[in-house]
Amino acid sequence: MITEILETLFLILTTLMMVYLIRHYIFTLTVLKRHQKREKAVTAGNTAYQPTISILIPARNEEKVIERILQRMTELTYPKNKMQIIVIDDASTDNTAVIAEQYSKTYSYIKAIHRNKQEGGRGKASALNAGFKHANGEIIYCFDADYYPQKDILEKLTKEFVDPKVGVVQGRITVLNEPQNMVTRLVALERIGGYSVDQRARDSLGLITQFGGTVGGVRRSLLKYLGGWDESILAEDTDLTFSVYLAGYKVRYVHDAECYEEAVEGWRAYWKQRYRWAKGHMQCAFKHSLKVLKSGNLRLREKTDAFLLLNVYFVPVLVLFSLVIGVPLLLLKSSQCLAILWISIPFSLYSFVGNFAPFFEVGIGAYLDGRTRAQWLIPLLIFMFLYNIPICTNALIDLLISKVFRRNSKNWAKTIHSGNGNSYITS
Amino acid sequence: MIPSPTPITFVLIILGVSTFIFIMLLPALLELKKPKDAGPRMIMGQTFFRQPEIRNVLIVNIEEEQGFDQMLVEKIANVMVVLPNLEV
Repeated sequence: MITEILETLFLILTTLMMVYLIRHYIFTLTVLKRHQKREKAVTAGNTAYQPTISILIPARNEEKVIERILQRMTELTYPKNKMQIIVIDDASTDNTAVIAEQYSKTYSYIKAIHRNKQEGGRGKASALNAGFKHANGEIIYCFDADYYPQKDILEKLTKEFVDPKVGVVQGRITVLNEPQNMVTRLVALERIGGYSVDQRARDSLGLITQFGGTVGGVRRSLLKYLGGWDESILAEDTDLTFSVYLAGYKVRYVHDAECYEEAVEGWRAYWKQRYRWAKGHMQCAFKHSLKVLKSGNLRLREKTDAFLLLNVYFVPVLVLFSLVIGVPLLLLKSSQCLAILWISIPFSLYSFVGNFAPFFEVGIGAYLDGRTRAQWLIPLLIFMFLYNIPICTNALIDLLISKVFRRNSKNWAKTIHSGNGNSYITS
Repeated sequence: MIPSPTPITFVLIILGVSTFIFIMLLPALLELKKPKDAGPRMIMGQTFFRQPEIRNVLIVNIEEEQGFDQMLVEKIANVMVVLPNLEV
């Protein structure tokens, strides 16, 4: 009886994981097919469309990187008379406020907002909402303080807003401090897979393109209609993505609009960041999953992709469950009919064909970027994947505890930026 | 008939798996020790190209910004239309 229950559970879990793995293959093959057809993204679009824009830069203790992005903002090619930059000093205790104020005094289009200890420190969504109150542009862009965009990024992104159905536009994120150590190198590979394949395929297939909360913009009217950013959600970007789709708008991804980011530099920082992402994403899954399935604004394939995307951070937890169920099942079964040696063969085959799908995706992304040497590091991604199992499980347990005991589940663990990325900027 | 594994089979499996893992990770370890990858990806060298028809629109914008008298421009254009075509 126990064996049958375990078998059924194992079968369900494996099927769910296989769905995600097939999804990886579909995305990868779509991008490869596009590449073979030599479909290139159009760099110059309707640049005549130049609405007023506001750029929000939330910054909490970012003295090591804030000057870099503010200086870059002054170098952007978008007409300065149509541009407003708002730095939200989120109750910083270092020199962030001083640097922001200096730029604000020098450049008329830069504005610095200072939040005190009572107002600040409540997370990115709260800081963005504070900045949004002062924003007067038609398009609201967000950039994190550790980012460094191309000079013409705003033209590349803004042209997509010509289509009235486009509510949000997202650009590509590339890791700046990639050569620093193993963690930054692996994060860079993850980013390559995520943007060069995942986002590009979703955009190409008309599925759910994700807003990453930075290097992107949202229509002001839409943001106002949605009530700004939801401050109770840790992944305010994912929340906004689904709110936008549910409101009947689209998110577009512009692959050639690129921006550097400073990746986390150690395993502990990686844990903190991914824990926040996982917990926030799970919050969004609880908030939006049913709405997505019931929505009249989404097609069936969009609903399917939306549901899978919303629940993607549960996959490492499912892997853990399948391992917990699989091992006793293996022992029970082996005594009955199969030897361990033989049961390992289909398991290995499954690992090769299915489990390696995300790595295949990263490999193709690196190939499309011309980074064949970086592909050598792909086997190390298995450690990232294994590391994500306790991260996501911890996030789920904490979220469930906070839901049961009605505790505040929103403790914003800020990523510390060292400013090491400065040494890689040559232009 | 499925054969039962013997102790030697287990030793061979462990050796085989260890060798497989080592071979799988070897290129990654080599790349980590002596990186030859050209990363990070260069994104700054890209220039932004404007299309000809868009350039016209931009010129109109510049005229508006610089405060050209549109009425005067129209009058000059009307005079030029009635002038003989010197290229014929």
